[in-house]
Parts: sequence; C-alpha cells; structure tokens
Amino acid sequence: MLKGKLKLPAPDKVRRVFPDQLGSLVAGFDEKGHGIEGSEFKLESGKELKPIQPGELGFHIGSDDDDDKETKIWQRFCHSVGNNSHLTSWFCKVEAKPKLLSNMLSQREINLEKLQRIASTGIPDGGGLREKAWKPSSTVIFISNIYLGISGVLCAVALAFQFSLIILLNLRQLSLGKASLWSQYFHYTEIVEQIDRDLQRTHPDLPFFPGESSISCKKREAMKNIILLFAKLNPEIRYVQGMNEGNVEADRVSCFVRILGDSADHFCQQLDNSSSGILATLSRLSDLLKVNDEQLWRHFELRTKVKPQFYAFRWITLLLTQEFKFEYILRIWDTLLSNPFGDMLLRICCAMLLCVKSKLLSGDFVTNLKLLQHYPDDINIEYLLQVAKDIRPDTSYYCLSL
Amino acid sequence: MGAYRADEDYDYLFKVVLIGDSGVGKSNLLSRFTKNEFSLESKSTIGVEFATRSIRVDDKVLKAQIWDTAGQERYRAITSAYYRGAVGALLVYDVTRHVTFENVERWLKELRDHTDANIVVMLVGNKADLRHLRAVSTEETTNFAEREKTFFMETSALESLNVESAFTEVLTQIYHVVSKKALEIGDDPAALPKGQTINVGSRDDASAVKKDGCCSA
Repeated sequence: MLKGKLKLPAPDKVRRVFPDQLGSLVAGFDEKGHGIEGSEFKLESGKELKPIQPGELGFHIGSDDDDDKETKIWQRFCHSVGNNSHLTSWFCKVEAKPKLLSNMLSQREINLEKLQRIASTGIPDGGGLREKAWKPSSTVIFISNIYLGISGVLCAVALAFQFSLIILLNLRQLSLGKASLWSQYFHYTEIVEQIDRDLQRTHPDLPFFPGESSISCKKREAMKNIILLFAKLNPEIRYVQGMNEGNVEADRVSCFVRILGDSADHFCQQLDNSSSGILATLSRLSDLLKVNDEQLWRHFELRTKVKPQFYAFRWITLLLTQEFKFEYILRIWDTLLSNPFGDMLLRICCAMLLCVKSKLLSGDFVTNLKLLQHYPDDINIEYLLQVAKDIRPDTSYYCLSL
Repeated sequence: MGAYRADEDYDYLFKVVLIGDSGVGKSNLLSRFTKNEFSLESKSTIGVEFATRSIRVDDKVLKAQIWDTAGQERYRAITSAYYRGAVGALLVYDVTRHVTFENVERWLKELRDHTDANIVVMLVGNKADLRHLRAVSTEETTNFAEREKTFFMETSALESLNVESAFTEVLTQIYHVVSKKALEIGDDPAALPKGQTINVGSRDDASAVKKDGCCSA
C-alpha cells in the first residue's frame, strides 16, 4: 500500500541521473579553466604531480577559491592518485575528507556513488557538510517519487495548515457537536498534543533543544509542522511515537521524508503482517543472524527465547536513534543514507548482536534482554560498522530494503 | 517486605506488565520502583522495555519481571505479544488527564483478551502530586475499581508516593493467588502454602516457580 507511494527508484535510473565516470564529475570546469597548472605545491610524499588538463579533473574550481591553497593541494592530490581508491580512502581518513566532501558537494552534478562511498566512512562535523551530503541522497529519492511533486508545495501547505490550526484553536471552545469537520479537527488536535508531548521528550540531552529558549521552541515548532504534515499526507500512518526521534537530525523536510519514506511501512499498523511491515523485517533480521552466526541464532531461538521484537523493534523503527549517543547516531546515519538501496540497517542491527556475542552467549533471558535494550555505549562504532559491511547477505531474500 | 535481593536468588518469578495511555508515567513508575530514579525528561517508550526487582513477602522472595509497554495505540498489535504469561498488571492513568482514565476500560478489555483470567490488576492513578491539576477524582476511580474488581491506588512517581506499595501489593496478591491455586483450598487468602511447586497456569513462559526454591534470607 505505502510501498507504492514511497517506492525507491531502481538503481539504474539513479545512475542515469548522476553520471559516475570519475573524470566527469563536473560540467563547467572549462569556463573557469584557469589557474592551477602554474601553481607550486608539494605533497609531503614529495611525489611530482602531472599537470592537470581542463576537464580532466573531477572537481570544480570556483574563481573565489583560486587563492585557496588547500583546495589546490587537494585537487592535485586527487588527480595524482586517480583511481587508487585505497590511497584515497587513506587520505580521506587522515585529514582531507572535509575538503573532499565540500568539493564534491559544490559540484553542479555529483557522482552519487562516490559521495556515498565517502559518506559511508563518516562525514566530519562542521561546515554543514552533513546536511549537504545527506541532501543528494535524499534528492535521488525525489526523482522518481511522488514527493517530487509534493516537496515543491510543502512549505506553502505547512504554512496554510499551521495557520488554519491557529484559527481552529481559537474557535475550540465553540465546538461541542460531532459534526464531521469538528471531529476531524479534534482528531488533528489530538495528534498535535501527542506530538507536543513527545517533542518535549525528544533527546532532552541534546543541546539542539535546550530547554525553553525561543530558538529551541522554534525548532520544536518546525519539527512539529513537518511531522504533522507527514501525518496528514500519510493518513494510513498518521503520527506514531518515535517519529520525533527520527526527525531530530533530519531537520530538513527532504531528509525526513526520505528517511521516513523508507521506514514508513514499519509505522503502518495495517502492514504489520505484510512483507514490508515490521514483523517481516524483524524476521529478516533473525534470518540474517542465522546466516551469519548460527550459534548465536540458536542461543536466541532455543535457549533464551529472546525474540527480535523484544529488542530490535525499537532499533528498526527508530533507525537506531535511541540506542547510541548522538555522535554515534550521526555516524551511523552517514552509513545508512549512503546506502539507500541496501539492507544496511539490518546489517547494522545484526552487527550489533555479533559485537556483543560472547556476553549474549553467557547470558540468560533477562541479562540478554537488558543488554540489548541498553546497548553498551563503549562500543567501537567504526568496528561495528565494519562488521555490518562485512555481513553476508541472506540470499533467500531476493530484495532487501531498509 | 521490599528488601533487595541478589538477582538469581528467588522462589517465585512473576511477569508483570505496565499498561496505559501514552505519557501517564509508566516508565517513571518502573524506574522509581526498580532503580529509585525519576526523570522529568524521559524518552517515550517504543515497543517494550524491561526491568526486574525482587521483593520479600513472608519468607519467600518474589522476583518481578516487569514489562513496560508503549502506550500509543499503534503499538498495541505488537505489544500484545508482551502480555503472554503475565500474571499481574498495573494499569496506569494520569489523574490530571481525564481521557487517560476513560481509556482504562479499553485497556482492561485488551488485558483480559490476552491474559489468564486470574491476572491481578491494579488501577494506578499516577501524577497525584499535581493536586491543582487533578481531573479524575479518587471517588470516581474507587467506584470503577469496585465494579471491575481491580485494586486501586494513587501514586506519584515524582514524589515516590505509593509506588513501592502499588508494586508490592500486586506481587503479594499474585503470590496469594498462586498459593491458593496450588492448594485448591478455596478463597481463604490467609492460607499460604509452604514449599510447594506451583504451576501458575496459562500458557506461561515467563512467570514460573523455581523448583526447590532455595530459601529464605
């Protein structure tokens, strides 16, 4: 039902939209084709660099940046290593990632695959990089998506909707009857109240929502409108507690819609028993565990009887936002959003089990459940994500989505 | 009564569920009872959370395995699985929001649809510290509780008022029920069995009696 609406585009379509040839990341280099051949920079390795031909380099050089030495160093470096992805990833890890990302993100056309590859290793904080990097991931979804049409009018609708709510709120005491319009209205106020209650409880530990200051009120207000709108656009789902958690970081409508779009079926009660509903996803997690670690799977199934719905329900519906500290959540979402067509969420969930395997194996029902409901925050997040990437897919499912 | 014990050391294991509308304070009741903690800014519960605590009644150690369920309607289809094997329930409403009391009836029905008929139910009117905002009178609930044959108590997780008593009362009543059931001696709650192995009944995979219960503190 919902899958139809929120369907992801097929991978081949995406490739058409975002050309993936390494050397042609950008159109427009020629226009600004002055500049860097004559510059003198050295890399620490002392390796001599080949001159760069216009159009050959994958990065756009804005005229404002011409005196930006770091940018040029980076451009030369990229050129010299070419397709040596090993070296690139090493360099990214060391220090150049912010530069690489901001370069990529300033392009008119972005090589999505490359962006996703880099983003999946984590996006550095600061400079608004994360927001920019996530946006193309979201944008892709928009291309062949019903939300393409909706997004344009989203702001207007939000404003109108908010406005009508204010009017209705002022008229509230007039209503006693059960006229359809009024019951509809009360239905919405009920949702608004629920959202209000939950927004107050959304990541209270985060400086993003500091107490009652006017800025945090505005942020809450903005989030409320986005959630409300989503509830209105998707009457089958309406508002479900937990959406506010997912919305914290995805403070742009596009991100939110994209993220929720993928997991929307999990919030939809009617789909609980369908193949895209939460119960099916939970059993896919169980199957994935079986493929990757039958010993642990047996321990759950036969000995402790710890079912995935006891612990992984929250993991999956909230995209892990309640399980880790905030910086880890961002890091996980870098990986999640850079893998929009895969099964990364389930892989990470499975990796979370594997990473505490020895504790689980030595525990009973109670200790297992307590451990998984309060996942240890001293876990090495990079290691966890690496384990997730190395998870063997469960081949009995033809297609895995989030 | 009420002393802490080591986790493994118990005579009876009882599964108890906390249910009621969203935002009535279920999670804070649980954290007050199991950890003596309260948070004004707690997160909303998604799915289910879980905690344990043991108390002593007479010479027995009763271990409570308490399942704190999400209040929102959406989760009911999924949380129904969590009722399996429950022998006690705290059905919580918020004394400052009348609608949460009105919904008690629905919760009660759901509970009775999913659990054994002998389940011990306590109606809990939480947030009793907010006296100036009270919207549900004690009398109103007392009448309801009598009609529905449930226990009733008003609590404040914030002020730690009656929280201990509410849980302890439920556990003690469960203990009485299973004791009676084992001896099949009718309705006398004063008659307690000693050293019996008791099947709590129902298709029960969580609540159980530990065989050869090791003993007293």
